[in-house]
Amino acid sequence: MAAVQVSEAEKVYILHGIRDDLRVDGRGCEDYRHMEIETDVVSNTDGSAKVTLGHTAVLVGIKAEIGKPRPMVPDEGYLEFFVDCSANATPEFEGRGGEELGTELSNTLYKVFNNKHSVDLKSLCISTGEHCWVLYVDVLLLQCDGNLYDAISVAIKAALFNTKVHISADDEGGKEIELSDDPYDCMRLNVENVPCIVTLCKVGHRHVVDATLQEKAVLCGEPDHLRHT
Amino acid sequence: MPTDTKRVRGPELSQNPGLFACKPAGVVHATHGPRADGRQRDQVDVRPVFVRCGLVSQAKGSAYIEAGNTKLMCCVYGPRETERKDETDMKCGRLTTDMRFAPFSCPERGSWIQGSQDKDFSLMLHESLQPALCLHKYPRSQIEVNVMVLENSGSVLAHAVTCASLALADAGIEMYDLVLGCSIRQDGASYVVDPSYVEENSCSSVSGENQGGLTVAFLPSLNQISGLQSDGEMAEETLTAGVRTCIEGCYKLYPVIQQALAKAVRRAAPPPSES
Repeated sequence: MAAVQVSEAEKVYILHGIRDDLRVDGRGCEDYRHMEIETDVVSNTDGSAKVTLGHTAVLVGIKAEIGKPRPMVPDEGYLEFFVDCSANATPEFEGRGGEELGTELSNTLYKVFNNKHSVDLKSLCISTGEHCWVLYVDVLLLQCDGNLYDAISVAIKAALFNTKVHISADDEGGKEIELSDDPYDCMRLNVENVPCIVTLCKVGHRHVVDATLQEKAVLCGEPDHLRHT
Repeated sequence: MPTDTKRVRGPELSQNPGLFACKPAGVVHATHGPRADGRQRDQVDVRPVFVRCGLVSQAKGSAYIEAGNTKLMCCVYGPRETERKDETDMKCGRLTTDMRFAPFSCPERGSWIQGSQDKDFSLMLHESLQPALCLHKYPRSQIEVNVMVLENSGSVLAHAVTCASLALADAGIEMYDLVLGCSIRQDGASYVVDPSYVEENSCSSVSGENQGGLTVAFLPSLNQISGLQSDGEMAEETLTAGVRTCIEGCYKLYPVIQQALAKAVRRAAPPPSES
């Protein structure tokens, strides 16, 4: 993540504050920053959401396309994740700089959604073995001020809630599919069990939730990510 | 997907014949039956391990580990001057890890280009090894750890961590402690320690509550966990019990690793003869 230079005096100040459950912006150790969620922000997508968590901003767009189901699970659709750390967030992400972070985030998302209960994949099937819906979840990092995992997971949940998948009229199970003529004839996904990620940073005996970049620069250790449904 | 123009690859539409094989009727993995290789369920029954250090003469340190059919080797180069000058850290050394799968290692042929799964494993290896190394003793240098998986028969990340820390010790890099890895697979109410490939990837037809895998990287003398990776869905108590089981598995492995290291040191520098 982008580096922030913190002086020794600032480090001591932040650490002592955390020990007394008081962070630089007045929050307690277990408080989140102000979060704003907007859905349906991009009209070209089938579902989208924008989440602003303090100074971190994340935009997620979901497009549903028809594809062939995976050979091992012919009666399920699937999700594909891609995280793009754009150069808008910090100049370090220019060119291929953000690729490593993007790959790490995508891999974590694949792992987090790799279970039967998060998204009902069977509802994404059109005809077994032939066609299924593939949801391409594209995450764009607009601004980066720490706690990317949490913001991304909330944005994905909101975008999946907003996603409208067209219902196919024909269900003969053959190679041809027909989508219904009515553009408003869609199904929505059940996002009750879509996981939300909570990131904790360990400082001494305390755990800090939603660390900003400045606090991360102080803490040398890697944060722990917990998945909570 | 990046295309590789340097190698002649098979047709892109080639598929594994295993996909077309008819599965026999009773192949659903019994969750309560005995394991295929005779080990016990719900017990810390790790596969017997064969380790040897010092097999690659060119590398500073190297190790080879075999657990059941899982075979991996690791080479350590360093401490060397940092290749990229702009990333030279004045205060401490850098650790670079790279984990690759040979294309023939898994039942389905993989590609030589590093997929995202390889990068993921490399990152987890880095996370697990970094706390154990005394990097502050190697300023302005870099230490490279390369793990190559020759055969993937389950529990690859755990054995890679063990192999890498052995190779680091063989190379003489100063460490706080060895890092040992152990993994379990939770299947409903029972778990299997050190799963084989088939056990790892079998999805039981009953979509039970607890289905997932857990890999733990552990420092035995310091009693600290340096890496934890979990997959799937597990209840909180199951997860904590699983972590404790993995720690037990690591303790079982510890004496074997220590013996192998002692043997390697004795081979490299035989004790002075009595006379």
